[in-house]
Amino acid sequence: MARGVCEHSLRATESPLSGASGGGPISPRLHIVGGGEPAPETVEPKAGLPRLRLENVTIAFKGRRRPAVEDVSLSVGAGEFVALLGPSGCGKSTLLNVFAGFRAPTRGHVYLDEQPHLGPSARCGIVFQKHSLFPWMTVIDNVAFGPRRLGFENPRGIAHELLEMVGLADVADAWPSSLSGGMQQRVGIARALATRPPVLLMDEPFGALVAQTRALMQEELLSIWDKLRPTVVFVTHDIEEAIFLADRVVVMETLPGRIAREIPISFERPRAPDVTDTPAFIERRREITELIRAEARKVFR
Amino acid sequence: MKGPGNWPERASAAASTLLLGAIGLALFLAIWTFASVRLGSAVLLPPPVEVFWTYGELIADGTLIKDVRASIVRVFAGFLIAASLAVPLALLLAYSRILRGLVMPLVALIRPIPPIAWIPLAILWMGLGDPPSFFITAIAAFFPIFLNSFAGGTSLEAEHVNAARSLGAKPAALLITVMLPSALPMIATGLRIGLGQAWMAVVTAELVAAQSGLGYLIQISRLNLETARVLVGMTVIGLLGAVMIGALGVIERRAIVPWHYPR
Repeated sequence: MARGVCEHSLRATESPLSGASGGGPISPRLHIVGGGEPAPETVEPKAGLPRLRLENVTIAFKGRRRPAVEDVSLSVGAGEFVALLGPSGCGKSTLLNVFAGFRAPTRGHVYLDEQPHLGPSARCGIVFQKHSLFPWMTVIDNVAFGPRRLGFENPRGIAHELLEMVGLADVADAWPSSLSGGMQQRVGIARALATRPPVLLMDEPFGALVAQTRALMQEELLSIWDKLRPTVVFVTHDIEEAIFLADRVVVMETLPGRIAREIPISFERPRAPDVTDTPAFIERRREITELIRAEARKVFR
Repeated sequence: MKGPGNWPERASAAASTLLLGAIGLALFLAIWTFASVRLGSAVLLPPPVEVFWTYGELIADGTLIKDVRASIVRVFAGFLIAASLAVPLALLLAYSRILRGLVMPLVALIRPIPPIAWIPLAILWMGLGDPPSFFITAIAAFFPIFLNSFAGGTSLEAEHVNAARSLGAKPAALLITVMLPSALPMIATGLRIGLGQAWMAVVTAELVAAQSGLGYLIQISRLNLETARVLVGMTVIGLLGAVMIGALGVIERRAIVPWHYPR
């Protein structure tokens, strides 16, 4: 199934072509406005330009001696699936909040389509770890929230289509509290995708689920990603999950949070669950496990 | 589709709750009767039967209906005034740090003043009758509604705000589509407590500042040593208050926060 790992496992933190900043193509604030039928190919990768880019980003919290994240530069190409992997406390979620525009970096810059990214935007959909659905809205109203706020035509139609995609059309009128954790996360994904964002940021979205559900959710996420091809930044501390999902695993180190290494994952897509049993996968897992163990030991001392 | 048990089970549970309540009430009436027989004075404590006949008398001559209507109007007026001021103010304060800093110290200073202490000012400003009673009931209902709504507004989940912002919600939309509904369960609690407080305060107000209403009935009957009438006034207040607060609870479950009570 899987081809062997052929690429060099080390990559510069800056991806090629990111130097072409300045007068790049300015994308409109919203990719699509209106249109009852959201077209699946709304995310057209712009040749070569990174979709998201962090430039020497440092994030310090008040009252703490060391910055949570120090001097991180990272480029994510359009349509790329990147996993941010690291032990707790490495600042990966903090970094995701910077990508989302919820937090401004203490130093450094964030670019979305090579434009300064200065606050939450409907171009970045977010999926949280848990409890982020609005409990006062039914499932379908949760998903239709974004399209309504942005003035899309037929928000309920859009919401219904997305619920169908995640297999939850039959609970459209239920309250979120009556759904299982896995179902709630699927609604969360549908809600984040309802505004057709070119970027999908996911903060340990399956971290609170039991193993069985988690595996199914990973497959489902890949099939959704295959259909819509958004740029994904996926935060996790699960090594296998990162390798299974991503095109590139960014391993982070702690104290301060920094990028330890970027590891390209070149298994063929679509990926079947049994890819995790191939020697190449096991080799990748071993490599990353060692890296993280060394990191953990460093902190332990 | 969840919920404890199927229909017959739930019906029998409701029936046994009702039965227990009825037994408790019957026991209470028996003790009351026994006590009044032992005391042997209709002025100190008339038996329930006499209170029952006095009900008939007061309904027949129309005074009870008149007083009930006067009190209900006051309770509702004060309650509505309080709710329409307290809820928006509380949410605004929860939203704006500057407003909060300006107003919260004042709230802390005014809140301990009991409604009854406002009566002299109310009478000076508004004379006797309805307006001072509206004022007193409104003061009484205001603080529970305000404080609960404020707590609801400030207990907003960061995830909900962030999710809404990343889905394109602007500040006004955040206030109306996120902050208000997420505060609604606490607002509903505040409304229920506020309504109870309004009932207590209306009697206070009518004891002093009005010439009608259940409080006035109690006051005037006390002066005439008609204790059965005092008890009619007291029990009507208990009954009406319980019915109204119960009705508000039903409205809360059906219409205000239905997601808290999924069927």
